[in-house]
Amino acid sequence: MSGLSEELTTAVEPVAGPTPAARTWRAFRRNPLGLVAVGLLALLLVVALAAPLIADYPRGYGEDVLAGPSAAHWFGTDHLGRDIFAQVVWGTRTSMMVGLGASALAIVLGVAVGVGGAYFKRVDGVLGLLVDVMLSLPVLPLMILVAALAGPSVTTLVVVIAVFSWPEVARVVRSQALPIVGLSYVDAAHVMGAPNRWVLLRHVLPAVSPVIAVSVVVTASRAVLSEAGLAFLGLGDPSSWSWGTILYNAQRSGSLSSSWWTAFFPSLAILLLVVAATLVALAYNDARNPRTRQDGAR
Amino acid sequence: MSTSRGFGRRVALGAALVLALAACVPSEPDESSDGASGDASEGGDGGGELSIGTTADVVNFNPLVGNSRTDSWVTNLMYPAMMTIDDEGTKVPALATEWGYGEDGLSAWIELRDDMQWSDGEPLTAEDVVFTIDAIKAEQLGTVSGMIGAYESAVAASDTRIEFTLSRPDGAFLNSIGFWMPIVPEHVFGQAPTVADFANDSDWVSAGPFVLTTVERGQRYVLEAVDGYPLGEDDSGPALDRVVFRVYPDVNTEVLALRSGEIDLIGNALPPSVARDVSGDDELQTFSVPSLGWAHMQYNMRRPPLDQVEVRQALAHAVDYEAIREVVLGGNAVSSNSSVLTPTFAQWVDDTAEEYTYDPDLSRDLLAQAGVENLELEMIYDAGDPNISSWAELVRDQAAEAGITITLAGLERNTYLARTNDRDFDIYAGSWAIIDEPQSNFHLLFAPDGFINYAGVNDPEIDRLMVEASTALTVEDARGPLQELARIVTEQVYDNVMYVEQFTFAASNEWTGFQPKPSELLSVVNPQSLASVRAAD
Amino acid sequence: MALLRFTSLRVLRCLLTLWFAVSVTFFVVRLLPGDPALAIASPTMDEAQRQQILADFGLDRPLAVQYVTYLGELLQGNLGVSFRQSVPVSEVLLERLPWTLILTGSALLLTLVIGLPLGVLAATHRGGALDRVIQVGGVVGQSLFVPTVGIALLYTFGLWLGWFPIGGAIDDDVYGLEAYASIARHLVLPCLSLVVLQIGAYVLTLRTNLIDALGEEYCTVARAKGAPERRVVWKHALRNALLPTTTLVGLQLGLLVGGAVLTETIFAYPGVGRAIYESVGQLDFPVLQGAFVLLAAAVVVANLLTDIAYGLLDPRVRAA
Repeated sequence: MSGLSEELTTAVEPVAGPTPAARTWRAFRRNPLGLVAVGLLALLLVVALAAPLIADYPRGYGEDVLAGPSAAHWFGTDHLGRDIFAQVVWGTRTSMMVGLGASALAIVLGVAVGVGGAYFKRVDGVLGLLVDVMLSLPVLPLMILVAALAGPSVTTLVVVIAVFSWPEVARVVRSQALPIVGLSYVDAAHVMGAPNRWVLLRHVLPAVSPVIAVSVVVTASRAVLSEAGLAFLGLGDPSSWSWGTILYNAQRSGSLSSSWWTAFFPSLAILLLVVAATLVALAYNDARNPRTRQDGAR
Repeated sequence: MSTSRGFGRRVALGAALVLALAACVPSEPDESSDGASGDASEGGDGGGELSIGTTADVVNFNPLVGNSRTDSWVTNLMYPAMMTIDDEGTKVPALATEWGYGEDGLSAWIELRDDMQWSDGEPLTAEDVVFTIDAIKAEQLGTVSGMIGAYESAVAASDTRIEFTLSRPDGAFLNSIGFWMPIVPEHVFGQAPTVADFANDSDWVSAGPFVLTTVERGQRYVLEAVDGYPLGEDDSGPALDRVVFRVYPDVNTEVLALRSGEIDLIGNALPPSVARDVSGDDELQTFSVPSLGWAHMQYNMRRPPLDQVEVRQALAHAVDYEAIREVVLGGNAVSSNSSVLTPTFAQWVDDTAEEYTYDPDLSRDLLAQAGVENLELEMIYDAGDPNISSWAELVRDQAAEAGITITLAGLERNTYLARTNDRDFDIYAGSWAIIDEPQSNFHLLFAPDGFINYAGVNDPEIDRLMVEASTALTVEDARGPLQELARIVTEQVYDNVMYVEQFTFAASNEWTGFQPKPSELLSVVNPQSLASVRAAD
Repeated sequence: MALLRFTSLRVLRCLLTLWFAVSVTFFVVRLLPGDPALAIASPTMDEAQRQQILADFGLDRPLAVQYVTYLGELLQGNLGVSFRQSVPVSEVLLERLPWTLILTGSALLLTLVIGLPLGVLAATHRGGALDRVIQVGGVVGQSLFVPTVGIALLYTFGLWLGWFPIGGAIDDDVYGLEAYASIARHLVLPCLSLVVLQIGAYVLTLRTNLIDALGEEYCTVARAKGAPERRVVWKHALRNALLPTTTLVGLQLGLLVGGAVLTETIFAYPGVGRAIYESVGQLDFPVLQGAFVLLAAAVVVANLLTDIAYGLLDPRVRAA
């Protein structure tokens, strides 16, 4: 029945022994970049969760306006004398929330549409058209519009970013799934009378899962960046600190060009989060893929 | 096999794109006039080119319609006003030399200079003034139309004298039109079916020190010097060869451009943090000019419990004004002692006025007196205004000390305007750019049907005092009722005046002769100033 | 024949996409809060005048009528009149479009030119130090926040070193070769920040695809036949690895255009992206719509080209 596919699988994975997951993990551990990235992500997560323990919520004003980094203010102060370290710490919360929320929403939508389009030929045209349409809209300007329309809030940001991020996921997933659907073993499964659900779960989803893993990362990182972009343009949530809000304040108050620390630290935080997430996904992808795995299989 | 095909296609795609672009480009430089020399720079015989940074494009070249800041900066250099304003906030001669009212206040006159002419050689006469004011009245153009309610008709008694007939005495009439009304050339603007429809976007004719010659939207606006402009330091015309306004996205880039020498002057007022930073730079000079308006909060009295004076007073005492001026404005602001007669206008100011003290306990007591608990209010403001957005947060945090919850609604500018226009707010935070003639302007602010009476002031005593002030034809006669009115406004918290900003402008040291004037509108880019600028030795 | 049918289908789809995009933008824009009249009529005007202006701009008619009018005008190339500037939208945008095309086009080209060899290098040295450096570099580039990169570039190369101008797209009064040089000088920094932004996606995708392709049977076969590794990589593997990468070009275009809004804003580059940014603040509906339609059209056309290229390259799609 599924002998053909078994053959194909064993053909590319000649090493018998531990389960694929264990092998993946073993390979992952050998990648120092991936491990460092995981550590960074964990650290940021801790910061997000423990924000109240690390720094006071930034409010009011301080005496020292636009003071550079010092022992009292590790990251310096902003144009109202508020501690930027505290802002970055609390910003970690908002930014991660937006990133994860938007990514989750976008992935669900994108994978459903992408796999559905590739597999069910009847709806492919309609779904493909929808994806094309969404992709043809200049995304950031549309986000700006909708965010302005819906009023600034964290929920708005999550939904707006997700609504305009899923088509990319769908398109990549679909392009990955298309050749697989056409492969002989999938056809064979059909001929054997396997139900759609079974074929999707057994063949198509596993085949596109590396793409999905990469998409999670790309989408989450884009979401954090989009949030920063929108906030930077003044469309962030004014009642909660995010990294984008800090940057927006720096830009609006004109301290961007005179006090580097107002922009540097939140930008660095964004960079670290996005880089770490991306590296984790890359390392995972490499570890999963027997061809790129450095475990001496070749 | 087809690897090379894939590559080829890729390269072809890129090449096609680049070719298409290259085809677009050469046409750009051809647009500018052939006569302009390739390197008109400072030094030599020429007076040089002054580059001014701005953050917005010119929206409308018709000075009677346009009202954005950049619009005014550019058009003010071409269409002269009859009066300008001095450091005391008093109107002084520009195109006009003298003016006055008739005995009964129902007539008025203005005498013009006789040495002004349009850049196409036509003389600027009283007929142009009459044409301008009649067009404004007939078509209800711009802000000036709101100031000439008393205007009936005008005649050009001679080339230099205009005589006005008024329907009622209005002590602010001459000053308002003198300061606010740009005079446009009848022989150009009169060609259009209606003045409002006249786009004025090419072949400009100017009677200012400069005339617009080149417009590249999003990039630059070039104005060439006009010989013979008499109001600068040298009455034969500006020392500069030309003035170029360059468009930048925000003040950060402007500062970088100023420091790198790409521009010589930033037109916009600098935010306090930038002003502080720039004032320490040896290669730059800074100017400080007062605002002609004020920053304030208004409480919507149509909505209970804000209709109770105790509640408004409680709110007024829950703000640390000094902290706002020191921290948010970086000290670049002065107290107006909570009075609508601000220190910028020395002739009106009331020395007995006192600022609301910051006293959260008093606020709590006042709220208790009014029987109000758990006061929750929403404050709207223009999120694009850096100062107000900053102090809004302070106001919120300080009000919390007095047990008042303020929710901030920083809005996109048009939404903000729409909501203030619909009076859809609890607290409004904003600023007036220019309130230069209290005698007539206060009507807009405090009359029940006043156009910008956001708070909903409806007070017969105020109305009586406004009539008394507006019909007074001298400063002395108007001062008494105005000061009485201002006292009531403070007492009743009809308008919570927080501070009068001192704007800072920065320019390169390579230039000298700037003549700063009050307000961000006039600042150092006013026509007299730019007509006097020359290269420093 | 199949290809012709494939192409015409794609073109039809393109038109449909455009129509949908136009409709969506039209309605989204109309749903923005704020009284549109405020953006065109001075608050000091009396009611009659305001109504007159609203009528002039067709804002008093029902939404459906406005929509049909807009579509009709659009077919004739008329994008309406800017509320703010009282000039035709096409005029406002067309004088800006070349700059956006130059910026995004050169950024795309440069990305491909640099990205392709980097991707191949990373894939052929997989696991090595070079691979790591390229991967991390690509990831870092993707993760940078555009305005921060912009300001940093401006500060370093514009102010400190003084190599490149701070803003604008061309110097005053330059002609001929000098004009090209000036445009190039102004282009360097904004183009660079767009390349930094998107090169990672190309390099990483190509790397992954190439590594996959190199493990395929035909590569093994080619190696077995004694083909040199260079040939295997550049001839056999790259061809297949380029397929999914082609999809990426179309995919990244939307992002590129989005990035252009921020880049043009930071670098004072007078393109369509900055017009959008300015128009949002002013609620200038016609310009907003026009800019969307224009950019959407550009992306759709570029997508069409990638689709056709995809069809030419992939026999499976061609046959479908």
